[in-house]
Formats: sequence, structure tokens, C-alpha cells
Amino acid sequence: MPQTTIYVSPRSLGAHDTRPPAIVTADLARLFAGIPALAGVSMRVEAGRTIALLGANGAGKTTLLRLLATAIRPSYGTAQVDGLDLDRQADLVRERVAYLSHATGLYDDLTARENLAFAAQMLGTPDRSARVDRALGDVGLADRAGTRVRDFSAGMRKRLALGRILLGQASLVLLDEPLAALDDDGKGLVEQLLAAWREVGVTVVVASHATERLEPFLDGRVLLERGLVAEVSGTGVTSTPPSPAGGPRPAVATR
Amino acid sequence: MSTLRREAGLALAIARKDALAELRGRHATVSTLFFAAVVLLLFGFALGPDSARLAAAAPGLLWLAVVFAGILAVNRLHLLETDDGALEQLALYPVARRVIYAGKAIGGFAVMLVLGVVVLGAVGVLFAVDIAAAWLPLLVTVVLGTAGIAAVGTFYAGVTVRLRAREVMLPLLMLPVLAPLMLGAVKATVAALAGDPFGELGTWLQLLIAFDVIMVVAGAATYGFLLED
Repeated sequence: MPQTTIYVSPRSLGAHDTRPPAIVTADLARLFAGIPALAGVSMRVEAGRTIALLGANGAGKTTLLRLLATAIRPSYGTAQVDGLDLDRQADLVRERVAYLSHATGLYDDLTARENLAFAAQMLGTPDRSARVDRALGDVGLADRAGTRVRDFSAGMRKRLALGRILLGQASLVLLDEPLAALDDDGKGLVEQLLAAWREVGVTVVVASHATERLEPFLDGRVLLERGLVAEVSGTGVTSTPPSPAGGPRPAVATR
Repeated sequence: MSTLRREAGLALAIARKDALAELRGRHATVSTLFFAAVVLLLFGFALGPDSARLAAAAPGLLWLAVVFAGILAVNRLHLLETDDGALEQLALYPVARRVIYAGKAIGGFAVMLVLGVVVLGAVGVLFAVDIAAAWLPLLVTVVLGTAGIAAVGTFYAGVTVRLRAREVMLPLLMLPVLAPLMLGAVKATVAALAGDPFGELGTWLQLLIAFDVIMVVAGAATYGFLLED
């Protein structure tokens, strides 16, 4: 079971009102094989807020998260994370962003501890061994630390991937369907994490079909439809319509 | 200096991770050693029992087995990164792209060096070649040759890892580039086994060193583009 207080260690963030916006995008678009998965999103997310990305399959939620995580490059438009340009300062952006995707990015032949120890080294985590043990405890996998990930269930893999996020010092956390494959305890863990990140001022963007459980933690909501922002509600997030000269507008691909 | 030390530590961590996964899964080692053994045995049968003929063909067969098995090994090692989105996760760490290339290349080199030494021993036994008499120049040749295969293979495995036809594409891309390395390695092996009567061994080893340096620098400089989608 997760420990009562989850340890998150963001970089020194400062007060909300002195920080640049966590995310600023202008006509951000991404095409796959000439078909836009994201068709020109202009939005601004204030630092320290928790925002839900909503929308049907193929609306562009995952593409937007992957762009912000620097996993893919934009076809058109610009984006900034913590004031850093996503395209030209991708190395610096990667130090500030943690991303939980549909795939967990874990190595099957390594144990849970070995996976986190490798991630800790890549992330430059100080006091690695203790932090890995702490993260394993926080996500409820301390007793399975020596088990190879190959033998984990989908839910356990997701917990371990969440543990990897705890090893970094992200100021922006991007979660793609974080509740998928998790049991009630696992969903409770995500709730604990959202509360902990809010407490220390980390900005969180959650893409999900089902946000009922996450509702108490959300500041704002962005509804995407066919690669465009259809509606914005709540606080901490604003959007402007795409400019006429911005990205493409035709049919939308799923990715 | 501290940046260099940190990057070297990260590259070794990636190589160690690959080596650990390989030790557990034995994806590359078993299949490549088996493949190399089959190549050597088949050519041995084809050439017949004439020991002079076998010894003359040995350097070429050694590198034929090492190169083809090396291509198989480097492909297998990159397949580790297809575990549940691991390559994308690796690319998202705040680590310079040259470090990721170096780590993967060191991991590939370690596996291929073991492969090269084992194949060299097998050639000595199967083809009646006295490798003990020239063990040092032969070892240097194997080290330089496998380092070059790892440097080229790591780059092209990065090119093909997302392709469905990667097993077909990888040798098609790698073999033309490896031609100078194969020439240098075979010639160096011939010279080493003959006791270097014409003093040409050094020249061929220099060719291998130059090849390795060029490929490592080019691979480290361009590998980052392969990680971007």
C-alpha cells in the first residue's frame, strides 16, 4: 500500500504569481502523413494548476501531450514550457517535464528496482538508492522491488511508471489516461499524487476520458475536438481561436 | 571535465542496463553465437578437409561470421528498446543524444567483443589456424573491428528500429558502409596470422582506427535526429 505522505521533489518553483505560465502554445499543430492530429491549438496554462484535457478518441489529447513532452516535434506553431521554447530548447524542457504515456517505457528483463535505479541515474536524482526505495514504497511496490517487470500486471506497470515520475524534479507533469488499468487502490494513488503535486506547485495536465474521480483536484478543463480547442472552463487555463494563417484545418487523424 | 565524467557515467549506465537485460534475456548472445557457429561449420564442410585451404579461408570466414552475427546482435539489442515504449522514454530523459548513442554503442561493442573472441577461438579450432602465435595482433584486430561494427550498427539500428522490415533493412544499410572495415579487418588478420612478413599490419590497423573514429563521431553527431519523430 502507498505510504501516507508521498515524496515529490520539484525544482525550486517560487510563488505562483512570479512564475511564467507553465504552458503557452500558439497555433500548435502536428501532422502525421499529411493529416493533422492536432490542427492549431493556442492555449495558456498558469503555473501550479491542474488541468484536464478532455475529448473523444482522436481529438488530439495524446498528440498535444507528446508535443509538450518533446516526444514529437510540431509541424506548425510554437509552444513554451516554463518560458522555454519547445523546439529550440528541448533539452532544457526535458529537465522540467515528466510524462506518463500509454506505454510505460519500462524494461521487461529488469526488476522494478533496477528500472527505477536506471531512471534515477538518467534523471540525475540525488541520493539515488534511498529515493528509489522511497518511490517504490510510495507506489506500493516495495515488496515487489526484486521482481522482473515482465511478470507485472498492467496496473503494477503503471504504478512503477508513476514511481519513475517521483524520482525527477519536474515542474510540469503530463499524464495520459493515468487511471487506465489501475484498481481502486491505484486510482487512490493517482489522487494522492495529484494532491501532493498541487501542494508543492507542480503544474499537471491530465488527459482522460473519465475525470469524475479527478474532479476535486482540477482547476480547469480543455475540451478538444478534431484537433482544436472546442471549449475551456474553470480557472488557470485560457485559449484563443487559431489564427487564419496558423496550422492546417482538414480531416483529423488518430494518434 | 565534470560534464564529460557525468556523460561517461550515463553512457556506461545505458550500456550496463543493456548488458543486464541481455544477460537475463540472452536475446542477442545465444542467437548470434549459434548463427556464427552455423556459418563456420557450413563453410568448413564446403571447403573440405584440406587444412591449407581451410587456413587460407579462415580470415575471411572469421569476419564473415563476426559481421553477420554482429548485425544480428545489434538489431537484438535495439529491440530491447521496443519494450513498451522504452525508446521514447529513453529519449525523454534530460540526457544529451550523443550519450544515448555512446551507451548503446558500448553495450553493442561489449556483446560483439565477446562474440568476436569466441568466433576467433572457434576459427582456430575448426580451421587449424595457430591463433596463439599471433594472439595480440589478432585481439587488437578483433577489438577494432567489433568496435567499428558496433559504431555503425548502433546508428543504423536506430534508423530501422521503428520499421516493420528492420531485419531486412539493417544488413542492406550496414553492409555497404562496413566494406572498408571488412577489408581492413581481413587484411589485418591475414597479416597477423602470417607473422606480418611485409610490415603491413600497422597500416591495416590504422585504417580500422580511422574507420572507428569517423563512425563514432558521425554516429554521435547524428543519432539525435533518429530519436525525433
